[in-house]
Amino acid sequence: MNYIKKMMKSNILVYIGISSMLILGCNILDIEDRPDPNNTELSSVIENPTRSDVNTLVSGTLSGIRTDLAIYYVDVSMVGREIYRFLAAEPRFTGDLLGKENSELDAGSFYTTRPWAAYYTNIRMTNILIEAMNSGAGGLSDAERNGVLGFAKTIKAYEYLLALSLTNENGIRLQNQSDINSVGELLSKSESMDLIASTLDDAYSNLNSAGSEFLFNLPSGFTGFDAPGTFAQFNRGLRARVAAYQQDWSTVLSALNNSFIDAGADLKMGVYYDFTTQPNDVTNPLFANPQSGAGDSWVAHPSWRADAESGDARVDNKIVDRNSAASLDGLTSDDGLNVYKTQTSSIPIIRNAELLLLRAEALAQRNNAGDLDDAEDNLNVIRNAAGLSGFSRGSGGQAAVIDEMLNQRRYELFFEGHRWVDMRRYDRLDELPLDRVGDNVWVSFPIPENENL
Amino acid sequence: MKGSYYLKLLGIMTVLLFTTQVVRAQFTVTGTVTDGSTGEPLIGTTIFDAASETGTSTSIDGTYELELPSGTTTLRFSSVGFVVENIEVSGSDGEEITLDIELKPDVARLGEVVVSGLGTTVERSNLANSVTSISAEEFGGTTQATTLSQGLYGKVTGAEISANSGAPGGGISIRMRGVTTINGSSQPLYIVDGVYYDNSAIPNGSNAVTAAAAGGSSSNQDNPVNRIADLNPDEIKSIEILKGASAAAIYGQRASGGVVLITTKRGNRGGAEYSVSQSFGFTTISKKLGQRTFDVDKAEASFGPTGKTLFEEAASKNRFLDYEELMFGEEGMLSKTTADVSFGNESTSFYISGSVQDDEGIIKTTGYKKQSIRANIDHRFSPKFKVEVSSNYTHSESRRGLTNNDNTGTTFGVSMTATPNFVDLRPDSKGNYPDHPFNGANQLQTRDLFSNGEFVNRVTTSARVNYNVFQNKSSSMDLSFTGGVDFYSQNNKLIFPSELQFERVSGSPGTLIESTSDVLNTNTSLILVHTYTPNRDMTLTSQAGYTSFNNDQNTILTVANDILGSQTNVDQAINLNVNQTKIFQRDRGFFVQEELNYDNTYIVTAGLRGDKSDRNGDVNKMYYYPKASFAWNVSNEDFWDFGKLSNFKLRAAYGQTGNLSNFGAKFTSLGPANIDGLGGVLINNTRGVEDLKPERQAEIEVGFDASTDDGAASFEFTLYQKNIEDMLLQRELEPSTGFSFESFNSGEMRNRGIEIGLNLLPVSTSDVQWSTGINFWKNVSEVTDLPVPAFDVGGFGTSLGVFRIEEGESATQIVGIDPETDSSGNLVYRDGDGNIVSPSEGTPSIITKKLGDGEADFQMSLSNSLSVKNFDFSFLLHWKKGGDNINLTELLYDLNGTTNDYDDTDLEIADFRLEAGGLDATDINSDKRLSLLGVSSDHFVQDASYLKLREIGMYYNLPASIISESTTGIENIRIGVSGNNLITISPYRSYDPEVSNFGNQPIGRGIEVTPFPASRQFYFHFKVEF
Repeated sequence: MNYIKKMMKSNILVYIGISSMLILGCNILDIEDRPDPNNTELSSVIENPTRSDVNTLVSGTLSGIRTDLAIYYVDVSMVGREIYRFLAAEPRFTGDLLGKENSELDAGSFYTTRPWAAYYTNIRMTNILIEAMNSGAGGLSDAERNGVLGFAKTIKAYEYLLALSLTNENGIRLQNQSDINSVGELLSKSESMDLIASTLDDAYSNLNSAGSEFLFNLPSGFTGFDAPGTFAQFNRGLRARVAAYQQDWSTVLSALNNSFIDAGADLKMGVYYDFTTQPNDVTNPLFANPQSGAGDSWVAHPSWRADAESGDARVDNKIVDRNSAASLDGLTSDDGLNVYKTQTSSIPIIRNAELLLLRAEALAQRNNAGDLDDAEDNLNVIRNAAGLSGFSRGSGGQAAVIDEMLNQRRYELFFEGHRWVDMRRYDRLDELPLDRVGDNVWVSFPIPENENL
Repeated sequence: MKGSYYLKLLGIMTVLLFTTQVVRAQFTVTGTVTDGSTGEPLIGTTIFDAASETGTSTSIDGTYELELPSGTTTLRFSSVGFVVENIEVSGSDGEEITLDIELKPDVARLGEVVVSGLGTTVERSNLANSVTSISAEEFGGTTQATTLSQGLYGKVTGAEISANSGAPGGGISIRMRGVTTINGSSQPLYIVDGVYYDNSAIPNGSNAVTAAAAGGSSSNQDNPVNRIADLNPDEIKSIEILKGASAAAIYGQRASGGVVLITTKRGNRGGAEYSVSQSFGFTTISKKLGQRTFDVDKAEASFGPTGKTLFEEAASKNRFLDYEELMFGEEGMLSKTTADVSFGNESTSFYISGSVQDDEGIIKTTGYKKQSIRANIDHRFSPKFKVEVSSNYTHSESRRGLTNNDNTGTTFGVSMTATPNFVDLRPDSKGNYPDHPFNGANQLQTRDLFSNGEFVNRVTTSARVNYNVFQNKSSSMDLSFTGGVDFYSQNNKLIFPSELQFERVSGSPGTLIESTSDVLNTNTSLILVHTYTPNRDMTLTSQAGYTSFNNDQNTILTVANDILGSQTNVDQAINLNVNQTKIFQRDRGFFVQEELNYDNTYIVTAGLRGDKSDRNGDVNKMYYYPKASFAWNVSNEDFWDFGKLSNFKLRAAYGQTGNLSNFGAKFTSLGPANIDGLGGVLINNTRGVEDLKPERQAEIEVGFDASTDDGAASFEFTLYQKNIEDMLLQRELEPSTGFSFESFNSGEMRNRGIEIGLNLLPVSTSDVQWSTGINFWKNVSEVTDLPVPAFDVGGFGTSLGVFRIEEGESATQIVGIDPETDSSGNLVYRDGDGNIVSPSEGTPSIITKKLGDGEADFQMSLSNSLSVKNFDFSFLLHWKKGGDNINLTELLYDLNGTTNDYDDTDLEIADFRLEAGGLDATDINSDKRLSLLGVSSDHFVQDASYLKLREIGMYYNLPASIISESTTGIENIRIGVSGNNLITISPYRSYDPEVSNFGNQPIGRGIEVTPFPASRQFYFHFKVEF
């Protein structure tokens, strides 16, 4: 106390000093709370979004669905023994994915976690769009809102479907539409399929009340499918695929009837992922120089050329003879991949050829009078386009048609992500070629470790 | 009690003003202070008379002059590093007395002044913390430190200092007393002359080509430099290191990684002094790995028919190339020229220094150049008012090549792994480089034709204003203001010409990466210090102050592909991608501190810091960080009587600090993601958290210091425990939420450690002086509470080994997959349902378990300095025992069939792993390792112990008789030779155990993927002083 008394006596300047600091202190200690200087904050687009907000969310969603697409294609195409991805710096491609010796698919490795995370980011985007429509969007007409909802739900279902294609028997997880802080339940494979199918159907009914135009623009991969009516045909194409996976053959056929299927049109007609070299855009991650060095190359599985019918024009179109073989980790191929020929080549989401093949499949499976003939007709559209003569089942019956259907899927939809899924749903994974002693073919990818299930 | 006199130094200048107030009978004392062991004059020795509060300091020739009131008094002579002498002197009015003093060296450095608060200092003898001080001599006296970091190795007990790579220009990780954070910044706060010196590590953008972040880890692997490298080590006068919260609490929310206080040299009062020094040297690779020796069968087995053809071609010409020599075999020239001048008179002094450094690397085309100029000016406007201005401009240019991990086969290191000795990648006579037959890039071509430059322009200025508000017999008050500005612009320019092998085959050949970052830091502090001395036995020092800190960083990264011809401007290309990132930070705080010194025997300090920051969820919430400490100089008590052991102090200190969240952690945002010319936004993978608060570290430290009265021996012993709570964790979210990460405050971690220092002066005569120091330190960490499942913080997944945070385990544990064993060590087999079965019925069970730990068991350093007449010899040995790295370089060599021991059989693998991998002990090493991929990651986790000869130097001071100062004006000429890291002994199976693919990481360092190899430096020095 003595000290304080003395100090108080000591000099008036002490008071001036301390009190001036206290007065100033009120202001000099204040800090402004500023928003994210680099990005758009979520709350600003969910609450009462403008048309421009909707437009950027839609574009962002379609940009997002390309995230880590390369890993998904490597996953399904290597397990399905369509391609080899050789990367000296990444031994897990040729190790884990091909089941080399004792290796297992790792629930924590990037080939499991990253595609999954990408799909759910995109699902979040579609949920943000749905929430934005539900919460505000007062300035939009009902038709415009239905258009947005139809778009968002279709893409959401598609992303769920891709996730399920990897995890298969392990199922997928529902995303909580409104609460970003909670996790959803794990669905079994059949529940997942039902969810995807009903989401597509929901979207279809939204699209049917969405008027004649979307309020947003779609990139060129959706050319021809950029209005509610035509987008609905895309939606039905996806629905047909899902129905085929569910072995619901009558729904396949009914959905196809409302899709863009057209035996007389270009087989390539359909909806695509776009790639450009423009700012903040990405280039095709599956494009690579087919001759590039062994340490970093994309090559076809040797069986693809070996098993091809002679005269199949698709062989020379989709692969090229390499000047020198690419080898890594005990695997070799002479065939450089040439499916995606430039860095801006599009990757199909769904196209006419697949719809025709789905129709062939459903008809063959239904196997009513005349169905097998009709299935053959559909298959022959594909075969003829590839320069092959017409297929006839002869005495092979339904089994021969289904074999040929799978064979045409293998060649027509090469490196488009189907082979593994097709062989799996026909329980024929044991027919896939094994290259090394000890390799094996996976049935399902694990649910990522970080789901903490 | 003995030694009872009042003392409080507020710095020489402040002290001097008292003399003007004294008007009474006086006598004058003059004399010279010399170093008792060498006879050299001691500059800057403080001479202080407590009774009259009069003082001065010796000038450049060691002389002083002091006027004292008539009578008898005791003068205190103190100089850093010397034993304090108290000499009684008496005189009558007008008398002139000559008093020459020799000071004895003091290894305990009790007279050294150490920071105790933001506005105050305390003598080491009264310090309650373990604070490491490094003098200029210790820092750079033995050899040349190319960057600041290099001069710190082995000198700081409690610190784990590790280079991130051997690339020229720095890049270093420092961890003070263990892991202090998991996701925050673990780097210490650097304060240079009062300026918060930015130490960011801004990536150069090479990821656009290497795609290192595209595979298993999305972290940056660009091998960035942390910007403390910009500071010129030659300008440093002293460094003080506050290692934990107990010492650093007064620095509040940014001090959890410790604080490094750097003081640069200032002008001496007295005549002008000039010095010029020049060093030349060269650098070479420390260790080569060696290459695999092939025969035709091996070449074919590993590289196919092409390999066979190329091998036969090489064999026919006997042309086998040593690629390590071709790539890493440069003898890089090193050169540094420094000139400085120091001058001062009664009111003004300045120090001006300039230096030019030009270092080449061990890889051709790599190197580091730096030019620096500093002007430190002090002026006393009046006895009460003093200003110190420090300013520095630095320009640096570093060329660091292209190393570390990549996913495109483009870096030097990854290319090297794919290069057997029978291929010829050298250019032909016309300068055309052949394509690499087994890799996407020809590393010789890349090295010669590409360019990776980092250009930094940096200006740092600070001003300190001290004003003595009032002064009377028992109390004084000082107001000081410090303002600092630290601005730099970092430009990175990477040019990958279109003729490079990997560019030529790409769809858009040629890549240009241009990144510009402007970083501005400003900080101010206003401090009021009141010193009150009610009687000679007691001093109370009160202080209160305000601090502010602002940071703004703006980075624009442009990546251009498809270059037009050989143009290098980013607009001269077809594809452009631009990315802009802004970071800001505003901190405001205050502090109060009270310090009681009773008779230099009991020193009690208590303080409180309050801090706000916009990194916190609530920007205007104040967080408080208290501190308290107690030092008891037991040897000052009457009962103390242990002969020569005249100084013994017990000390205890407690303090808290904070650590702020990383920028952006509180925002949930959507980032740009366009498609086909349509502008879009995509949700970021980080979920924002609105209630983030700072991480809190609470440290308690106890210890004792002992030293002998002749200064020949000192011993320091410290134990500490620090608990980190409310840790800023980045939890991995279930990705099905649409987000991958969020930050949150939770969990606790503990570090316990011991630090021991012993300094001896076994011989101290006028001809021979030998000093030696041994330091020992050890830290043990444990994650004591983790409310979330264990998670990985660095690495490429469990199959390759990964750092994992797990409750009850060390914070730096490394886990990986490994075969399961039973209690007797036998391999366990399980069937498809997970049941244990006999080997024939199941497969080996693979589990994830702890395989190593990144933290050293302990570290030791031994320094020795021997002076014999004009020769000085010194060296520093540094031993790190234990601590593991994850070596993935070896894996890449194995996968490509080029490992030097590929065909050897000496690799020892435990039996159960051999069994699980279907291996035999006689199998070749590469088979063992490759067959264990997916079975065990144990062989990646390698012991990174080392013994390094950090520094060694030998100097010769030309005898005065040769120099003949009177005719040449030269005071001293010193020549010498020295070396850095000349010897490294380590069991580690790669270039160097000091490595970090991911740069500065709190935990996930020590992971290596084809780094820039470590190097050693040899120097020749020449220094002239006028």
